[in-house]
Amino acid sequence: MRKALVVLLLTLTACASQGLMVTDLWARPSPQMATNAAFYMVIENGTDQAEELMSANSSACGVTELHEMYDMGEGVMGMRPVEGIEIPAGETVTLQPGGLHVMCINRLEDFTAGQIIPLTLSFKNAGTLEYDVTVREN
Amino acid sequence: MKRLIIIGGSVAIVLIVILAIVFFVRPYVFHGTVIQSPDPAYDFTLEGTSGPVSLSDFRGKVVVLYFGYTFCPDVCPATMADLARTMEDLGKRAGDVQVIMVSVDPGRDTPETVEKYVQTFDPSFIGLTGTEAQIAETASMYGIYYFKHEGTAATGYLIDHTASMMVINQDGRLKLVLSFGTPPADIAADLKHMIN
Repeated sequence: MRKALVVLLLTLTACASQGLMVTDLWARPSPQMATNAAFYMVIENGTDQAEELMSANSSACGVTELHEMYDMGEGVMGMRPVEGIEIPAGETVTLQPGGLHVMCINRLEDFTAGQIIPLTLSFKNAGTLEYDVTVREN
Repeated sequence: MKRLIIIGGSVAIVLIVILAIVFFVRPYVFHGTVIQSPDPAYDFTLEGTSGPVSLSDFRGKVVVLYFGYTFCPDVCPATMADLARTMEDLGKRAGDVQVIMVSVDPGRDTPETVEKYVQTFDPSFIGLTGTEAQIAETASMYGIYYFKHEGTAATGYLIDHTASMMVINQDGRLKLVLSFGTPPADIAADLKHMIN
């Protein structure tokens, strides 16, 4: 019990000191014929320094890039690669359909609902961190 | 006093009747842009997996027409997933609706690719493609803009495109344009209204 408490405290301290939280990582089940997929997530920067997601990597994708959908007006949606995704100090950035996403290019496996996909995110300050992406409908 | 009660009561009844009329006769408010066109929508003929498919093949059904491409990782699968949920919401009435996705990427999408792509979302969906000229003609007739541009070395070219859904009624007239991100429940309500 005491051991568990110590572990819990250490974990909490680690989270608090890191101050960067990436939660709700998900991807849509991929249509069989689709070459590409997208990863979505919520990035919360609890530090007092601006953070930047610089790149991503996953063993499930041939290439992984950061992309953004943007409204070009009159119902037209465009997609463009972005150099990095800034998360200002104390703010939260949500990667979601119709906006920012991590693009999984040349998907190497089928994404089926319930599956967990490993994703590595490289941040300017926090460094390289490992995450699990859950495949679900929405 | 009695007279006052009679007058008051009459006024109340008249008010209730007026409110009821306003409430029930109030026209249905669609969740998109309503199009009032006297002419039928452009009757395209494009390539499906089992040969040519025309819009007029679906006369009697409400058609939801979407232009996208299978290489698209975000807006297109999001729209197809929303339309699949719309079909679930429609329940028995789903048989009165036909979802069609037309590829704006005939260079990479074959009829088989588009068909298999859309049917992952709902087996009733139809995927079509055609020659560059056929796609350009169809898109322009529906006011759909698409533009191929350079992506990265990994993505190859990308296509910016109108992400709206075009809804054509049972008589083959373009009736409604729904924006990207319209909630499935709202789309289902609009389609139900058109079916009835």
